[in-house]
Amino acid sequence: MNKRILIVFLLVSLPAFGADSEWVLQQSTLTYHVSHPLHQSEGVSHGAKGKGVCHAGQCEFLIAVPVKSFDSGDSNRDLHMIQVTRGAEFPLVTVRTRLPESDATASTINADLEIQFAGQTAQYKQVPFKLETKGGETHITGAIPATLTDFKIDPPSLLTMPVKNDIPIRVDMSWRPQ
Amino acid sequence: MLRNWSCNPLAAYLRFLVICLLLQVTPSLLAQTSSGVVRGTVSDESGKAVANAAVTATSTDTGQKQTANTGPEGTYQLDLPAGNYRLKFEAAGFKTLEISSAMVGGTVPEVVDGKLERGEPVNGNPAPAQQENLPNAPSSSTTAPSLSDLGLSPEQTQGNAREQALLDKRTHMLKIHQRMGLITTIPLIATVILGPGAGGKSEGTATRDLHVALGSLTGDLYGITAYYAIRAPRIPGTKKRGPIKFHEAMAWIHGPGMILTPILGAMAFSQKNNGEKVHGIAQAHGPVAIVTAGAFGAALLSVSVKF
Repeated sequence: MNKRILIVFLLVSLPAFGADSEWVLQQSTLTYHVSHPLHQSEGVSHGAKGKGVCHAGQCEFLIAVPVKSFDSGDSNRDLHMIQVTRGAEFPLVTVRTRLPESDATASTINADLEIQFAGQTAQYKQVPFKLETKGGETHITGAIPATLTDFKIDPPSLLTMPVKNDIPIRVDMSWRPQ
Repeated sequence: MLRNWSCNPLAAYLRFLVICLLLQVTPSLLAQTSSGVVRGTVSDESGKAVANAAVTATSTDTGQKQTANTGPEGTYQLDLPAGNYRLKFEAAGFKTLEISSAMVGGTVPEVVDGKLERGEPVNGNPAPAQQENLPNAPSSSTTAPSLSDLGLSPEQTQGNAREQALLDKRTHMLKIHQRMGLITTIPLIATVILGPGAGGKSEGTATRDLHVALGSLTGDLYGITAYYAIRAPRIPGTKKRGPIKFHEAMAWIHGPGMILTPILGAMAFSQKNNGEKVHGIAQAHGPVAIVTAGAFGAALLSVSVKF
């Protein structure tokens, strides 16, 4: 009898310890900000796709955003952005990070990000994000302190004046466990 | 009458200035011959693309190094000064590959593909994957999701070198368009300012000659500016949005205006030289010029300053 109880217990508890769980990106708004002496412009993308796979208490996340999905409201600027970031040749921005599964219940997290963009890879250490869980969804907000030099992008210029090196990217994402 | 105008020595001198200006404005065009591009794809023995491989070009003349990483499709590109380069391909889990010579220069990109063999790097050191030991850095575990898990379409994941080349050409031409447009503004304003003096009751011809010369210079520069905008490649599938629509709409005013203004100006010039008062359709020279200059200014501002 005890043996049967033990087998049932092991079968029930196996998924909790051994099997993977997954997170799926439900919706996202990523916004880059560019500063120029004559302009302050922003490009917004809602086109990110993302997935997280958790195993043994660690979750690996991958988010990919098509460079062309960023819209600044000016087609000329968007085309120029795609050109300087070599977005036709490297059409995706990918972000990878690994987080402890327990972070899902935290209100703030610090993530190490590995970003591939414009044919280059850059790492950002301990980027702070706020978390809010509501209705089974986890809402994440924060900003990635990206710069043009991180990705060896020549600063575009208007009227011979180049834009600033800083291109912070605001992140607003909703994730749902599967 | 047009002959008189084109023989104006001041106009000829200013045309010479245009040529000098062009030589100033187009160094980037000339610079194309002193730099070049090396690009290619890095793959494994089975032909599968190797992403995040480091490709390092070392100049055999100066020893200068430049590195690029391959994208998800295994493609890379290095923009380099012209010369001979040694290329090194490195990726985690692969042997390092070295190509001893690649000539870079001219207008055609040098294509150098790298085929990597699985195994430890030749020098025994781990490949520079730019990975530091961060507390929660991404791992290369087998559970990590891949791009294929995200449901992206092939169009979204595959690089398009041809489209990139088209975008590069477009930007290059529009940069010249922008610079030439700014330069054109200077003689344009000067011509407009001198306009009332040139068409006034004064019998002297100096102001009129200068007005004609500056107008001629403006027309030449405008033609060059327009050429670079018209000939810049169009990118298929792009829907125009934002200030560029207004910028282009203004061209339908200042474009015809830039043709009409000198024709009317030549008629007025001829009438004045014959001692006549400007009459008939030539009287429209001033108003047409003002509208043209206004449209040109509005077009410039629309893409320069955010309202």
